[in-house]
Amino acid sequence: MKKIIAIIVAILAIFALAACAVTPTPEPDNTKAPADATDGTGETGETVDYSNFKIGVICLHDENSTYDANFINAIKAVQAKLGLSDSQVIIKTGVDESDACYNAAAEMADAGCKVVFADSFGHEDYMIQAAKEFKNVQFCHATGTKAKVVNLDNYHNAFASIYQGRYLAGIAAGMKLNEMIDSGKITAEQAKIGYVGAWPYAEVKSGYTSFFLGARSVCPSATMVVTYTDSWFDIAKEKTAAENLIADGCALISQHADSEGAPKACEAANVPNVAYNIDTTPLGPTTALISSKIDWEPYFELIINAVVKGTAIPTDYCGTFATGSVALTKLNESVAAAGTQEAIDAAKAKLISGELKVFDTSTWTFEGKTLEEYVADVVDNGDFVKETNVIHDGYFDESNADQFRSAPYFDFLIDGITKK
Amino acid sequence: MEHTIKSKKEPLIHITKRDAMPLWKAILIRVIAVVIALAVSALLVMVLTKKNPGQVFTAMFNGSFQTPRKILNMLQDVAMLLCISLAVTPAFKMKFWNIGAEGQVLMGALASATLMYKLGNTGIPNGVLIPLMFIGSILMGMIWAIIPAIFKAVWNTNETLFTLMMNYVAMQIIQICIATWATSGSGVMGVINSMNEAGWLPQIFGTKYLLNIIFVALLTVFVFIYLKFSKHGYEIAVVGESENTARYIGINVKKVILRTMALSGALCGFAGFLLVSGASHTITKELAGGMGFTAIMVSWLAKFNPAIMVGTSFLLVFLDKGASSIAMECRLSESIGEIITGIIIFFIIGCEFFIRYKINFRSSNKEVAK
Amino acid sequence: MENVAIELRGISKRFGRIQANKNVNLTLYHGEILSLLGENGSGKTTLMNMISGIYFPDEGHIFINGEEVVIKSPKDAFDNGIGMIHQHFKLVDVFTATENILLGLEEKGRFDVKAATKKVEELCNKYGFILDPNKKIYEMSVSEKQTVEIIKVLYRGANILILDEPTAVLTPQEARKLFDIMRKMKEDGKAIIIITHKLHEVLSVSDRVTVLRKGETIGSVPTSEATVESLTEMMVGKKVALNIDRIDPVDPKERLVVEGLNCINREGVKVLSDISFKALSGEILGIAGIAGSGQRELLEAIAGLQHINQGAITYIDPASGANKSLTDMTPMQIRALGVRLSFVPEDRLGMGLVGNMDLVDNMMLRSYSKGHSLFLQKKEPSDLAKHIVEELEVVTPNIQTPVRRLSGGNVQKVLVGREISSSPTVLMVAYPVRGLDINSSYLIYRLLNEQKKLGAAIIFVGEDLDVLVELCDRIMVLGGGHITGVVDARTTTKEEIGYLMTKSNGGEH
Repeated sequence: MKKIIAIIVAILAIFALAACAVTPTPEPDNTKAPADATDGTGETGETVDYSNFKIGVICLHDENSTYDANFINAIKAVQAKLGLSDSQVIIKTGVDESDACYNAAAEMADAGCKVVFADSFGHEDYMIQAAKEFKNVQFCHATGTKAKVVNLDNYHNAFASIYQGRYLAGIAAGMKLNEMIDSGKITAEQAKIGYVGAWPYAEVKSGYTSFFLGARSVCPSATMVVTYTDSWFDIAKEKTAAENLIADGCALISQHADSEGAPKACEAANVPNVAYNIDTTPLGPTTALISSKIDWEPYFELIINAVVKGTAIPTDYCGTFATGSVALTKLNESVAAAGTQEAIDAAKAKLISGELKVFDTSTWTFEGKTLEEYVADVVDNGDFVKETNVIHDGYFDESNADQFRSAPYFDFLIDGITKK
Repeated sequence: MEHTIKSKKEPLIHITKRDAMPLWKAILIRVIAVVIALAVSALLVMVLTKKNPGQVFTAMFNGSFQTPRKILNMLQDVAMLLCISLAVTPAFKMKFWNIGAEGQVLMGALASATLMYKLGNTGIPNGVLIPLMFIGSILMGMIWAIIPAIFKAVWNTNETLFTLMMNYVAMQIIQICIATWATSGSGVMGVINSMNEAGWLPQIFGTKYLLNIIFVALLTVFVFIYLKFSKHGYEIAVVGESENTARYIGINVKKVILRTMALSGALCGFAGFLLVSGASHTITKELAGGMGFTAIMVSWLAKFNPAIMVGTSFLLVFLDKGASSIAMECRLSESIGEIITGIIIFFIIGCEFFIRYKINFRSSNKEVAK
Repeated sequence: MENVAIELRGISKRFGRIQANKNVNLTLYHGEILSLLGENGSGKTTLMNMISGIYFPDEGHIFINGEEVVIKSPKDAFDNGIGMIHQHFKLVDVFTATENILLGLEEKGRFDVKAATKKVEELCNKYGFILDPNKKIYEMSVSEKQTVEIIKVLYRGANILILDEPTAVLTPQEARKLFDIMRKMKEDGKAIIIITHKLHEVLSVSDRVTVLRKGETIGSVPTSEATVESLTEMMVGKKVALNIDRIDPVDPKERLVVEGLNCINREGVKVLSDISFKALSGEILGIAGIAGSGQRELLEAIAGLQHINQGAITYIDPASGANKSLTDMTPMQIRALGVRLSFVPEDRLGMGLVGNMDLVDNMMLRSYSKGHSLFLQKKEPSDLAKHIVEELEVVTPNIQTPVRRLSGGNVQKVLVGREISSSPTVLMVAYPVRGLDINSSYLIYRLLNEQKKLGAAIIFVGEDLDVLVELCDRIMVLGGGHITGVVDARTTTKEEIGYLMTKSNGGEH
């Protein structure tokens, strides 16, 4: 017994020594926040004092999820840009879509956060709950739908017109299909795209429809098969889903689910892949084409500056090409067909000018008909009742934050897309 | 002449079984184990972040105790984990390896959520709705637990696999329900009845979760008395220790298995009720958050004693919150929390070896020699 | 001195607080049979386990052929020519004798089974074993299995053999055969240690006796100078009266009538065939038989633990004289009929008691369900526990101690104490003195006789024929699930019983 105690004491002593050996070193992380950053300059050139500012970011998963990684990278970039210290930017990962979200938000408010941001759809109700309680704290929620309904000054939604980005990514996919047809690798009829979606939800449906329309704008024979994993983040399921689509003869795969499962499956099967949120070239150097992504940096900067300067945060914000919110990762030239970049750039210019509409009703049909009216569930008071016509002037007006809302409401299968 | 001892050939260490150890010594060994575990975890975090151990431990402590809200949240988490641990204990004490608590909790939660969703807008008063949800949850949990128990009692199927599979069935049923109700396809049910708060457990003294915590405290006393002083508890102990003895004294083993699993399931269902009605007011398949499995550890660590389980569930929640807090403050992945918890559990379980066995070193042979 | 096979000097071993061996000295010569004698818990097996490499001594030295050795593992023991035959055989049922003998040998390439068989046959001829090397273990009798174990050790070239209670599982005839073989091995120069606590065996087979008591060597004497009384005194430390008083049954009446009982166990094997007998009040009915002849199943069938396929068990109530059928009843139903049936099963901690529970909780096993309260009443069992501890001199720190911490004898006192506390009208005991020291054994015999005096019908399953013959009134012998004979214990001989024990087996040869 004595022997054991002696050994334990010895081990403890070693730890103590190790601890002492480390303590004298300066703490690089905490002292890093440079003093001059506090009087750094904001966008407008005027001096902004961020020293009393604190933001909390709530993430459903951690960096292993491409979706959450996109938010985490954005907030870290903004932190570096504005010269904020680590203690001014609290990132809490792994927060479930339950009471845990409310608790996390409330704890952040207690800790002095002026803005609390949450990244997952299911966080919304709990963010609203916290917003009702902490009137002096701004609560911002990505992908949410209720900001316009709940009528709280301090609760805001945000999203981006990512369908436009997806459309451009679709062009890259279509051109790749054309290249495969031209080289005789597949026939025109075999230009089938496989799509791994998370949930049969508008955000996903809007995404793949715009992607498909982009592809079909250059490759008219393209068709698409969609399969759902019923989970936002499940590596195994996404991988299997991609593999099954490939086995079914899909010549190209894209996905809207947050793991690296599908890109890896594509690389293994040597099938081109278009991704979302992150650049997957390192995962698939010979198959990754391009990714569309929402760049959250502009929004984070906007809410931080709004709070610091005391200006209002839009109730519902939809980022665009213009705000820098909708972006494409660098095209993987070694995989892409020739002329892809040029085609994307041309289409992008037309989208910005308004000359080109992604959901132009003349380019697609629903159940064989061209739609002139579509009533969608825009006003989300939890009843799932569709009440608002969103087709006007010959196009489906997606993510119109001013008139409708930022979160997508395109929620049906157009002709050419089938569900597996 | 006999002193030509070839001591080189003697084994360096050999292990012998200990006699009963005085309680204080056993406690001391466990405390030492926790201290070493904390030291090892701190060392790990230090290596990863270059922060000093003081900061790391402060962060850990802050996870549960920094503000009154954090204390309350911690107590709520302890209460929920403890509730499920209490639920699994009777079955485990009977050596019925019920690893289906997760599913039983979820089915209980689903029953509550269903009633909340279906009856929330009918104007039914909470005084009726909440008891209905309570009964519904308990029944669902019970049903989910008794199915494998029947198979075990009648056909002697393996209860471990069976209860495990029932978890997945429960998750899929929840998935189907959500898909049916939330027609937008988002897979998110959202907070149910957020307008009229129908079916929400009331806050007492203006404090969230207080009712949950009180319920679980009462439940702890109940389970303690049930296991220790009731005839049922005695039968559970006998069946768990030796089925042969149970047969010998005429205990109907099948009946005890069914009855105990029904109780286990009912308590799991109750936990599901508290999660829905007293906390999240929604249903997701992650609602139990793996507590159905963690509870098994809580119960084992406490050697099935409900009083000690208060401590072990606190320890696990404290570790979880502390690790999460470290991850947040040190900008580490959430996984660091699991690593730290793993290290500490490893040491706690590992130290049982030193409580049961003694390690003799070669040199000590001569020391002891008279 | 050159003739010394093994010498132990100052061997000590402790387990926690228990000093199993303390400064033990022992010498064994080639060509000698040494009896190692001692009560249970005196450290015999621990000592032998240290020689055979299972335990490692805390202190002391072991010399083989005059040279000090260190034995860390069973392999070291084999390398030094030491072979131990354990009480519980370690054989693979579906292998033949030869295959079992070869098992674990490190030979290069393929086993040469033919050559091995030949060598086994040679060993058999040399020492007089009767064994078919190609017979599978599951087809063998207990004594044949033991033979395999002994040959296994000899095959590996052991010169020093340790036999741990080898006769416990044998009939008197088989035991005598074994002793003949041991004598042949002795003539061949082998050194043999036999662990036993049957004194007449010690006197008949060994050359010298070394006695251990409480882990210490009490002394060694040549067998020729020893008597049963002197050895007992050495073992126990005081003079012990070794007589069992057998009183004549007073007013014996039929208490339990078993007719045409047939039972098939869970594996589908017929374990009892056409068993019919009567147990009388005020009488001890002994049941003899080789282990596994259906004794356990018979008692369990009566106690309501074994399903009865055919036959009837009838209890005659002593008060009313009414017949009550116990056929296929559960223990609860039997109790509900008001039948005071007590049962001391063979497996004390696995069936009769719960090892991890304390004395009080174990007292409750029989009585906990009494009354309508949902809660346990601890007063009565606690009083009973105190009473038993006092009355039967149970050595325990207190009544809150888990029974598994008690020694074998004390465990049995607790169990028997509880079973007789309900003043049984039928008392069944299975191997009640197995593993008990002499004092405890005689206490149990006394308790049984007391119950007999009180008019209980006692069914006593035993293994020691000396005790059966001395204690019982009648002895029923079982062989392979049949009754092979019922004898009057006052007139029978051990040989007669031994013959009946093998009768059903004999038919197969």
